[in-house]
Amino acid sequence: MGQVIQFAIDVLSLGSLYALMALGLVIVYGILRLVNFAYGELIMVAGYTLYLLDGTALPWLAMAAVAIVMAMVFGVLTEYVAFRPVRMKSVTAVLITSFAFSTLLQHAALLFISPRSRLVPTPALFTRTVEIAGVVVPLRNLLTIAAAVAVLALFTFLLRRTVLGIALRAAASQFRMTRMLGVPANLVITSAFAISGLLAGVVSLFWLGRIGSVVPGIGLEPLLVAFIATVIGGMRSLPGAVVGGYLLALIDVSLNTALPQALLQFRDAFTFSLVIVLLLWRPQGLIRGPATGQRT
Amino acid sequence: MNRSKLAVTGLIGAAMAAGIAGSAVADDEVFIGGALSLTGIQAPLDEPGLRGAQVAVQALNDGGGVLGMPVRFVNLDGMSDPVTVGNDAITLIDDGAQLIVAPCDFDFGGPASREAQEAGLVGISTCASDPLYSSWSLGDKQFTLSMWNTTMGAAAAEYAFGERGWTTAYVVTDQFIAYTKSLSRYFLAHFEAIGGTILGEDTYTQGDQDFSAQLARLRALDPQPDVIFISSYMPDLGTIIRSIREVGITTPIMGGDSYDDPGLFDALGAEFGNDIYFITHTWMGAGAAPEMENFITLYTDMYGEAPDTAFVATGWDTIMLMAQAVEIAGSTDGAAVAEALETNEFELLTGTLSYSSAEDGHAPNKSAALVELQGGEPSFLGWRRPENPPAP
Repeated sequence: MGQVIQFAIDVLSLGSLYALMALGLVIVYGILRLVNFAYGELIMVAGYTLYLLDGTALPWLAMAAVAIVMAMVFGVLTEYVAFRPVRMKSVTAVLITSFAFSTLLQHAALLFISPRSRLVPTPALFTRTVEIAGVVVPLRNLLTIAAAVAVLALFTFLLRRTVLGIALRAAASQFRMTRMLGVPANLVITSAFAISGLLAGVVSLFWLGRIGSVVPGIGLEPLLVAFIATVIGGMRSLPGAVVGGYLLALIDVSLNTALPQALLQFRDAFTFSLVIVLLLWRPQGLIRGPATGQRT
Repeated sequence: MNRSKLAVTGLIGAAMAAGIAGSAVADDEVFIGGALSLTGIQAPLDEPGLRGAQVAVQALNDGGGVLGMPVRFVNLDGMSDPVTVGNDAITLIDDGAQLIVAPCDFDFGGPASREAQEAGLVGISTCASDPLYSSWSLGDKQFTLSMWNTTMGAAAAEYAFGERGWTTAYVVTDQFIAYTKSLSRYFLAHFEAIGGTILGEDTYTQGDQDFSAQLARLRALDPQPDVIFISSYMPDLGTIIRSIREVGITTPIMGGDSYDDPGLFDALGAEFGNDIYFITHTWMGAGAAPEMENFITLYTDMYGEAPDTAFVATGWDTIMLMAQAVEIAGSTDGAAVAEALETNEFELLTGTLSYSSAEDGHAPNKSAALVELQGGEPSFLGWRRPENPPAP
């Protein structure tokens, strides 16, 4: 029983982070059909914000809020620097510019801060543990799950009940039509990047809370995870991204638990084989997105 | 690279060098090229090394240079990418580098040494510790400043079993690179050879940032181990140790030189940074080496802060080792410098160093520094030399 609870909490807490990461990537992809390769760096930006704020008089919650805002600011900045100038001209160009912006941010951190890891402050609450049915669980894992549920609920409300949400969903489905109906395209796109930054900011608090430090290359793994999760879940579906995130966590933790030691070092090969099988079975991903419109 | 290609690149290199205001004329300076990584996962180990190397070059030039000639040191960012490291070395050699400083790892640094070997130059890695960094695999002019993992793993095992009486161990191995894998292997082999018992082994994948499944297995162990040996790399190393300490496991943790990073001490803090012991290259404080105080003064003068990891000393040592060998050899000729390195003993910040012959792999004969982490603060426990480290 204890082991089952432990397993469930491990999967859910890791899955919550994966799901939020994937959601942040897919909200931009859904509208622009372009992967934002500088997405991982938003987590890095939030991390370094926390590092720079450490030692100030601010309580941790305020630091976290500033970090999230900074991730949003840099999300929007990504749009202005890497996407907007070239978005209409060439897909290849956007691919390159988003990579370039990602490299630029990483190197800025390298130059102005350090290539070596820097401390990310975490609240005392993160390192507490609670006992559930005889299993000692870090409170942070439970907080991660709770935060993910809260953010997902807020996100669902935003998409279903607000004008902005409806505009976002419409843009994801038929962008040209949406524009013709008078929805300002740039505003929708900028909002998508801001939301993407918000999600990255929330993820960074818990992701970096596990690690305790931030390095310039910290964004690579989250980007990779988000990308795989969206591919599994369906590149254009928001619920798909969430399902994909939790499923990827389930696959990872299950393989980590079940594989014998001799095979464990090849775990990624097993993970990706499963992903390939999944895609052969459902090439569109688990959940199909809205009917495809033209690329914008 | 075949000979004609080499000749062509050589010509281009010579032409380029001549173009840069004759800066690479070989007979009025000693030109040392470096491919240390300032970016990527290798940067925490290479960047301090580079700083130390720059202090050494300054100190050499202030003292009249080597063989009466000034020393010029140029480092090109290896970017934690073996291909880039190799290309950096080619560029530097084409520009006239006479000695090559290779990154602090076999996987990342090996390519620089291979290029140096091909050009007939001596290449020294600042702190690659995998025994693959040997003349066997890289050539008769290649060396590493570090002790091998055989010594590192054995020193950890002897401290655990011999000095502390920890008879059972649990080993976690990151499948990242040759270093992380072989360090565990030698710890394990030596721990068992001297009478210890390994209760279990586990595998981790660098980048996962998730230790939950491994942690579940560790907690299910009955009885619990006396010591946990973790061979991983930053930043994931921080995640692993935090995950273990978070759930209340206070078992001592041991590891190798990748622990020697103030970033790790910060990430663990006073709460989790307890009962951690690691083997590294030296101690940046009093009592480690005769030259240490002088080095710390010079370093502080140059950078405005005291060195905070032993890896800065590996950079200084690499340059100083090269300088001493060149002085003994009387030239920068690869074969002569290699012979000087093989047949002499050197007094360095990272201890006394001598090498075995090229037939015996250029095995470094060196002591290991033992450091303890308590309350997030490191302290020096002294030098250790394992009796019979396992064969590579």
